[in-house]
Amino acid sequence: MKTFFNSNRGAFITLLVLILLPFLVGLFDGASPATVFINGSGQSKFIQGLAIEIFILAIYAISFDLIFGITGMLSFGHSLFYGVGAYTTGIAIKSFGLPLLPTFGLVLAAAVVQAILFALVLPRVKGITFALVTLGLGSVFHILVMSSEFGPYTGADVGLQGVIVPAFISPANERLRFYFIMLAVMVLVYLVYQRFVTSPTGRVCVAIRENEGRARMLGYNTFYFKFVALLLSSFTAALAGFFHTLYQPIVSPNVAGMGFTVTALLIVLIGGVGTLNGAFVGALVYRLLDYGLRRYIGESASFINGAIYVLFVLFIPYGIVGTWRLKSLQIKQGWDRLLEMFGR
Amino acid sequence: MNSFLRKNMVMLVAVFIMAAFLTAAAQGMEKQDFVITLLRGLAVGSITFLVASGFSLIFGLLDVLNLAHGTLFMIGAYLGWTVVVRPDTFVDLLTPLALIISGFALGDVYPLLASRIRLGLSMRRFLPWGLILVSILLLGFILPRYPIAIWDVENYAQSPVTFAFMADSGARLPVQPAAFTEISMPLAVIGLLLASILGAFGISLFDNTPRTVRLSWKNFVSIAVALVVALVGLIFNDQLSAYLYSLNSNWLFFIAVLVATLSGVALGGLMEATLIRPLYSRPIYQLMLTLGMSAIGIEMVRAIWGRPEFVMPKPAFFNGSGEACPATNFADWWANHCSTILIFDGRVRVYNEIFIPLVGLVVLISIWILLQRTRLGMIIRAGVQDSQMVEALGINVRRVFTMVFALGVGLAALGGVLGAPSTGLSNVMGESLLLNALIALAIGGLTSYPGAALGSVIVGMIQQFIIKYGQIGIAIPFTDIIFKPTPPLVPASTVMLMVIVLLILPNGLLGKKE
Repeated sequence: MKTFFNSNRGAFITLLVLILLPFLVGLFDGASPATVFINGSGQSKFIQGLAIEIFILAIYAISFDLIFGITGMLSFGHSLFYGVGAYTTGIAIKSFGLPLLPTFGLVLAAAVVQAILFALVLPRVKGITFALVTLGLGSVFHILVMSSEFGPYTGADVGLQGVIVPAFISPANERLRFYFIMLAVMVLVYLVYQRFVTSPTGRVCVAIRENEGRARMLGYNTFYFKFVALLLSSFTAALAGFFHTLYQPIVSPNVAGMGFTVTALLIVLIGGVGTLNGAFVGALVYRLLDYGLRRYIGESASFINGAIYVLFVLFIPYGIVGTWRLKSLQIKQGWDRLLEMFGR
Repeated sequence: MNSFLRKNMVMLVAVFIMAAFLTAAAQGMEKQDFVITLLRGLAVGSITFLVASGFSLIFGLLDVLNLAHGTLFMIGAYLGWTVVVRPDTFVDLLTPLALIISGFALGDVYPLLASRIRLGLSMRRFLPWGLILVSILLLGFILPRYPIAIWDVENYAQSPVTFAFMADSGARLPVQPAAFTEISMPLAVIGLLLASILGAFGISLFDNTPRTVRLSWKNFVSIAVALVVALVGLIFNDQLSAYLYSLNSNWLFFIAVLVATLSGVALGGLMEATLIRPLYSRPIYQLMLTLGMSAIGIEMVRAIWGRPEFVMPKPAFFNGSGEACPATNFADWWANHCSTILIFDGRVRVYNEIFIPLVGLVVLISIWILLQRTRLGMIIRAGVQDSQMVEALGINVRRVFTMVFALGVGLAALGGVLGAPSTGLSNVMGESLLLNALIALAIGGLTSYPGAALGSVIVGMIQQFIIKYGQIGIAIPFTDIIFKPTPPLVPASTVMLMVIVLLILPNGLLGKKE
């Protein structure tokens, strides 16, 4: 038990900090935990909101990391997964008045359908052609969402708004509950992904990334493994989309566009491709950076985003987590040397 | 004959389907509508082709999916606009640019210099960064103070939109003399030269590989040319601006096309040499890099030229009007330079629907000749098949890589500046065109040059015919329903076509099987 705790020390500390975060921020702001508990407005509520956005982004990014970083399929249509989740939720609740649970079931069904759609394409095209076909599928959905024919349902280019969220999970009045639900979902997703990657199936996925021909020579039907990865990724991204609709007042059509796929790519790149943890670190850095730049610099924030992107590609190709893992021994040695210097 | 059929079956089938599609399309509309739509399709196809061909050359030879291509297309358009509407800005920019280039033109002198200097280890590590820092500081001090006539995005009366409107209505601005008020002229010139020399020296110090360096006359010629351009630009600044302003708009347009294309070539070469080259071992990162470059490019365009859309004036050669217009035949047109011409009683805009397809055709043929009949083309074709083998044969493939990248970006910039007078300039023109070009290439075959042409024409035709039928409606046989395709169907139809083609033929219509 103790070794289990020791080997996962970082994860446990992070979890603890995240659980205490709303109350800690409240304390700094001068609000008592009781005020935070009844969702009094203040700095704590704002930070919770930011954290929820980061959690949703992280869940979305980790789903992209699974098919891009772990299985090695470059998809340019990943925002389709997220967009379908978000729009299915919105339309089901707003236009059909479904309760939350059936909506969730519908989102899962939609996730299966879109994974099957991608899987139909899978055996025929590889590499860059797969990227183009997925780009095509993604943009068809984006175009459909934007078109005026479906305007009554999707809100066309204005975005889907006026979704009535059940009161017990409403992000305005019950934000603390929403925060902890999101935290739980994120931890759950992470555990499932960690388990998947270390499972035999996940190992084969890594083998497909490294050399698909060889994996096939070893007797694995690579199609099934890719399909499983796609399915899991599609589920997760649709889940992120589901919570996006519940949290955000407006579902903008941008979440179905190419730009949002690039966001996932950027997050995964900042965190570290194929590291899983990287998605969380990347989402944190990306969202805070975006928020900070937009607040203090203004419109030219995406210029700096692009520059950071290029700098990461050129100089930190393995991302924050990847570089940390590569250099952890050196960092530890340097740390020891520092301690020695002060110890003597 | 039989083998010819078998080899070109896909192409023949595609052409047959295309012909059937056109005949079917012709049934539902008037003759003049059909001709106009056909020409418009060709025009859109030509602009798409200019972007797609460069993209496919780059992808075929370098295996780099250059997603910044659309942005470079846009930058070409904006540069061309600047030359046509604000020639004085262009003239003012000449001197500083030439001064900065002249430092880098020295090239081989720096390794020679570096080999003469003995440095300590820590000094060797520190010196390049220090030099570059000094250079950047110098540039940052001088460039904002250098007198460059520029518009003001924030101020509407001085904004590019206003200038574009004035230029389109024929009014010209008085030339503002470039006066060194904030910094003295010798200081600015010497400072820029020093900054560029220090920067180039610093960058060359990173390269520690020992090699023998011979200075050739080319170094001195290039720096002499750069310095002469800088001096001419400096001394005859006002006269040059005044001359360009007084110039016929045809010549100005020609200069704009030249400048935009050459800037595209230079940008492409620079991008390949500095950013793409370190990443050949990590292909996926090249793709991400080009994505990032595209975002940066769009933001730069937004910062410099602003967000609103504006137009570029057409050259007078294609923009005449008066009693005799629209012209009824080509001799008539040649005499009056009308902006429109009557074909089957339909008004066809000469620049948009005749000139652009012609340029597309000329570029198609000249690149085809370059690929098939020259030594460079032979190397490119061989490199597309197997670049390692070409390298093993002793050919400097890396140099060819840079040249092809520059050529591809140059073509995109040419497309941008040619398309600007007909479609106008906006921040999003690059993205939408890149999507079109990608679809065209996926349909035609990613690395195939004829495929790029065929795919572009197919994409242009389908889009224009759907737009036209959106106006007049399709009568569905045996019913009374008139189906009108809506605007979202225009991109959706080509995207769907791409998906279908890729599912049947993963390599596209004319792509080679791996």
